[in-house]
Amino acid sequence: MTQNAPTLSPPPRTEPDRQGRRAPRALPFWANPRIGLLVVIVILVVVFALLRPAFLNVNLTIVPMQSDLSVFVVVGLAQLAALSLGHMNLAVGPMAAFSAFAMGWACDTLNAPLIVGLLFGLIVGGLVGAAAGWTIAITGVNSFVVTLALNFALLGLVSLLYSGFGDGVAFNVHPAGMDTLRNNTFSDYCIGNVCGPPVPLVAPIAIAAALLVAILYRRSRLGREILMTGSNLRAAELSGIPTHRRVIQAHLFSGLLAALAGFLLAVNNGAFSADIGSQFLLPSFLGPVLGGTLLAGGAVSVLGTFFGAALTEIIQTGLNLLQFQVEKSKIYIGIVLLLALSLDRVRHGIAQRRGSRAA
Amino acid sequence: MTTLNLTKPRFSLRGTEFTLAGIAIVFYAILAATTHGSVLSGGTITAILQFLAVPMMVGLSQMAVLAVGQMNLSVGVLTGFCAMVCAWLMVQVGLPAWLAVICGMLVGAGVGLINGLLVVLTRINGFIVTLATMTIIDGLRYGVHGTATYQGYAPGLVALGRGSILGIPGVFLLAVLVAVAVAVFFRRAALGRQLLASGGNPFAARLSGVSNDRALVIAHLISGLLAGVAGVITVALSGSVNATIGDDLLLPSFAAPIIGGVALVGGVVSVVGTCLAALIIRLVDVAQAQYSINPQWVDLIIGAVVLGAVLITQLRVVRRRRSTSP
Repeated sequence: MTQNAPTLSPPPRTEPDRQGRRAPRALPFWANPRIGLLVVIVILVVVFALLRPAFLNVNLTIVPMQSDLSVFVVVGLAQLAALSLGHMNLAVGPMAAFSAFAMGWACDTLNAPLIVGLLFGLIVGGLVGAAAGWTIAITGVNSFVVTLALNFALLGLVSLLYSGFGDGVAFNVHPAGMDTLRNNTFSDYCIGNVCGPPVPLVAPIAIAAALLVAILYRRSRLGREILMTGSNLRAAELSGIPTHRRVIQAHLFSGLLAALAGFLLAVNNGAFSADIGSQFLLPSFLGPVLGGTLLAGGAVSVLGTFFGAALTEIIQTGLNLLQFQVEKSKIYIGIVLLLALSLDRVRHGIAQRRGSRAA
Repeated sequence: MTTLNLTKPRFSLRGTEFTLAGIAIVFYAILAATTHGSVLSGGTITAILQFLAVPMMVGLSQMAVLAVGQMNLSVGVLTGFCAMVCAWLMVQVGLPAWLAVICGMLVGAGVGLINGLLVVLTRINGFIVTLATMTIIDGLRYGVHGTATYQGYAPGLVALGRGSILGIPGVFLLAVLVAVAVAVFFRRAALGRQLLASGGNPFAARLSGVSNDRALVIAHLISGLLAGVAGVITVALSGSVNATIGDDLLLPSFAAPIIGGVALVGGVVSVVGTCLAALIIRLVDVAQAQYSINPQWVDLIIGAVVLGAVLITQLRVVRRRRSTSP
């Protein structure tokens, strides 16, 4: 009930910093969840580096961490696209798996080069997402239910397809460039004595995706209209926004990004396999939610999603180096999630009280 | 959407339940006819009902929180955690079986209580809170005994779990008893009605003196308790448990109530619908085994059933709206 008030002002939460001084009820900068996340990340990096110097080892830790992070940032963005509407996409994992199948099939059966396979997979992912969005828009059924059904359906379909076309679990194909993408970093490319930074080749793909999504939601009319639709469907409809189309488009982006995440994971793993995406559901929510994207829709934070995914990845890698089992490190990720969000609320509450007193 | 549960929930629910019962009967008849009656034999019926108990419990567990418009993502891992704790108490601690069973259920209720308190105290969305507790419990579940398996515990309990009365498995009877209790709670008990009132319209509920916070906590408590029952049933039925139990229960826990006609926005429950939906999903499993088709088809069919069931409900709402508005 009380949350309806802020959503009525058109530019919701994406640009609070710029208007900070003029708006009477604006929040101070430290109420911004991204700053808190950054502080936590820095503290954790220092702690892990002190406990295990190997945490700063470039080849053992830093490079693999960036590869993993690239995947999870894009997965988070796929969920963010649905969250911007106030919807959810429970089928990010199977969408990634289905698209990865399409890529593998194109490269394996059609002998397509990697880039063509990637484009084909992206189109397939986008179409699946758009189909989900279309079903939601036309029938008015809750997005949770539609993507839950899609999750089941694609899960079955992908396994069937792999047993029909692949060797049961994967495509045994390595198109030109895939292994380069997987193994090389920019430090392998030198001009004279000057070599690139130790950044894996997949990282720029994820960064480009994040920038495009940020521009979409911040600058483009389409993105703003999607956010409007998410924050208040009725108001958006009355202001002449074709809400059905915006719902379909947002889900199309979600499918597209899920497909890209599937591609990145396939490159990291070195194969287009059926188990791609099976671990996507949890990280897809962790990134955006930690970063301050609302489940209610109408507000997104791409930078926050990046920080959220980075925090998760750092905790996982750090605990792994401290020889925690993967499963046990989940306990701490869950606790961090709860603490971060509780602190966020406390901080927000204090900031709001101060803001209103000053005004 | 919200008008669905505010106008005449009784009729729409009864319709869904009748449809589901019809589908289950027709499906079973087709199975019986095409497999030369092998699903009619006592052994097969026992097996069908035995492995229906856990899906029923997790479906009802999810339904309890859906009643107040919340979701509980920790249902699956909590079932596994309770099973592991129960087995650990018997094998490592040496508690008698009956005490371990009670403790297993209490652990479930306790986690549910924590979920509810976190939702109420932090005011964070229940989806996110249970996402976090799901992650934590997932870790704890492995923390009990690593990836190793507990087996050979309490032969009496396992015999009880696998035993049957007049051909009907004991665990299924237990599940039915629990389902009846849940149905009575939501239909007759003042507290149950308060939960539904709070889920249907929190504002109106508050004005009529219902504490929404209490409703949230109690719904999560019941959800956790039912997940605990599911865990204990798993322990009694399978004879050996490890930390992977519950991995594949989360999405089915949503499928059963949604097919059964429970609205995600809250205020509506259907115990019969949820149980019938669990039965239909179970029959899909049985069909897969009987025709020895690729098990992957099961997921595909369940997906289609979920979407189909929801679309039918939606069509009915649209038609009713059209018939009421001139």
